[in-house]
Amino acid sequence: MAAEYGLRLASPADPLTDPQALVPPAWRDLMPEGPKAALYFGAEFCEDRLPDADEAGAFCARARDEGLAATLMTPLVSPAGLARTAALLDALGAGGWRPDVVFNDWGVLELLLDRHPSWPRRAGRLLNRSLRDPRAYRDAPQGPATHDVSRYARVRAHLRALGVAALESDADLEGGFLGDGLQAGGEDALARALHVPFTYAASGRGCPLKAALYPDGGGFAKAFAAPCPAPCRGRPQAAPRADSALPHWRAGNTVFYELPVEAARDWLPRAERIVVHAHAAP
Amino acid sequence: MRILAPLRHSDEVRPLADAGAGEFYCGVLPPGWGAAFGSAAVHRRSTATASVPGLDDLARIVARAGARPVHATLNATSYPAGALPMLVDFARQLVDAGVAGLIVAELELVLALRDAGLAARVHLSSLATCRNAGAAAFWRRLGVTRIVLPRHMTLAEIEATAVPGVEREVFALNDGCAFEEGTCSTTHAFRPFCMDDRLGEGATRLDERYAFWRWTLDNCGSRQSRGYTLGPCGLCALPRLAAMGVASLKVVGREAPLARKVASVRLAALALDVAARGGTREAIRDAVVAERGAAQLCAGAHLCYYPDVWADRLPPPRPPRRVVPIAAAGAATPC
Repeated sequence: MAAEYGLRLASPADPLTDPQALVPPAWRDLMPEGPKAALYFGAEFCEDRLPDADEAGAFCARARDEGLAATLMTPLVSPAGLARTAALLDALGAGGWRPDVVFNDWGVLELLLDRHPSWPRRAGRLLNRSLRDPRAYRDAPQGPATHDVSRYARVRAHLRALGVAALESDADLEGGFLGDGLQAGGEDALARALHVPFTYAASGRGCPLKAALYPDGGGFAKAFAAPCPAPCRGRPQAAPRADSALPHWRAGNTVFYELPVEAARDWLPRAERIVVHAHAAP
Repeated sequence: MRILAPLRHSDEVRPLADAGAGEFYCGVLPPGWGAAFGSAAVHRRSTATASVPGLDDLARIVARAGARPVHATLNATSYPAGALPMLVDFARQLVDAGVAGLIVAELELVLALRDAGLAARVHLSSLATCRNAGAAAFWRRLGVTRIVLPRHMTLAEIEATAVPGVEREVFALNDGCAFEEGTCSTTHAFRPFCMDDRLGEGATRLDERYAFWRWTLDNCGSRQSRGYTLGPCGLCALPRLAAMGVASLKVVGREAPLARKVASVRLAALALDVAARGGTREAIRDAVVAERGAAQLCAGAHLCYYPDVWADRLPPPRPPRRVVPIAAAGAATPC
């Protein structure tokens, strides 16, 4: 089994660590040999964590210097977030950068088609709405996924018709979303990327870490659209739960958990690219 | 604007219509679904407690609703392999039975319904998390005619999400979500995931605030006042929502007892009447509090779906006063 790797960095200055060193020790023998191919940056879950143009440009420069594909992740966005994303993409283009863009919002896809049609676009993991409930692994650590690729065949064909190059996901409880990959051919064939080791459980705009910045009675729904200075930046918080033995992490507005190694064994061979996150991050 | 009422039985049509419902939505299980797909969800709510008994009763609902449209939910966020042909066939049966709109969350099913010539019937569920005009344009191109906007949006964002040719429906009453429902990948079958979400050590006060917010979203622990649910509420925003051309006001709670549904619809109708007569947000709030009680929950905008309607009355956001201490954490947990 072979695969290429994407490394998600939090800062342009972060070291390009060996991907095997970033996953839980029990996973290491499962990780296939393969080259580093892409540097991931940006935000998948929170528009307040999108980088500004300078920082995004620094990521692109680092990727260029390392011979990697710069890959900008973008989240679900509000109207203001969509405008900010548009400005970021335009600034990158004006700076001569042309990163791959992972979209998790259909409005961002529209933006790419309209303003940057030649940029490689990749469908992000929030487009896969299959269940990922960590509690489902209590009695079946390997997970119940059937990996039946008839699921989402229309979605893949539609994305391909829209010029999307690849589909990304983390491990869900059903499988099949990523399909059989480019080499299988067919009208729904897309490149596949799997995000590890953190699977997202739940995300939203009522971020408790953001709420901590407000006095009692503020934050949460009263601050959905207020800009956030991102107190979550840096490291995630451990978020243990009594109803699951899996390690859980709170990263700003999103709760992640670490996929059981038994489930990872089934998922890792189903992608040509493995995107490794050193930390859970929104 | 019309009040969209939940129901689960034809006997509920008349009381809800009398209370002010202008349209209805319900969930129905396709015949043979359980045998083919077990407990997999067809729609977002519990099959046992929130579904209409069957197509016969759905036909009675449509007949009793008369000119009021009836919409049906097929809004699970994902379906098992092989389910789509049954769902598309069932969607045809629903339309033949007189259902006006098919409330759908999943792109795969939207595409299948489009291929079956049913796109114009599709109302995009809030679970699809359409939050901006670009996304709305994407769905419009697929033929979607109404978008149910997610709970976690401000009034300004609702206004900015308008696109020609697509109706907007917004949440008006009851049943909030701590996480955005469309980006919560867990299932209530294990118990709501958010209920056990904690900030943990060193964040006691913040945990209390978080717990209070979740409590309000959970209809204040399923409490009522004078028979009215003490749940999330967007009624003071009706004048703004009307001005921006919102078509439909969603009352949540298909599985709730009829009395709760009727009370919720009655409260929404009362507020809509005040708004229609040019009433202000204050007039609506006062009318709601006079009918329902629990003034203190409105005083702090604790139940507001759209608290920005009171933005000029609430304490302004303060500059960050501190950064939450982040517990020591490394990379993935060694195991």
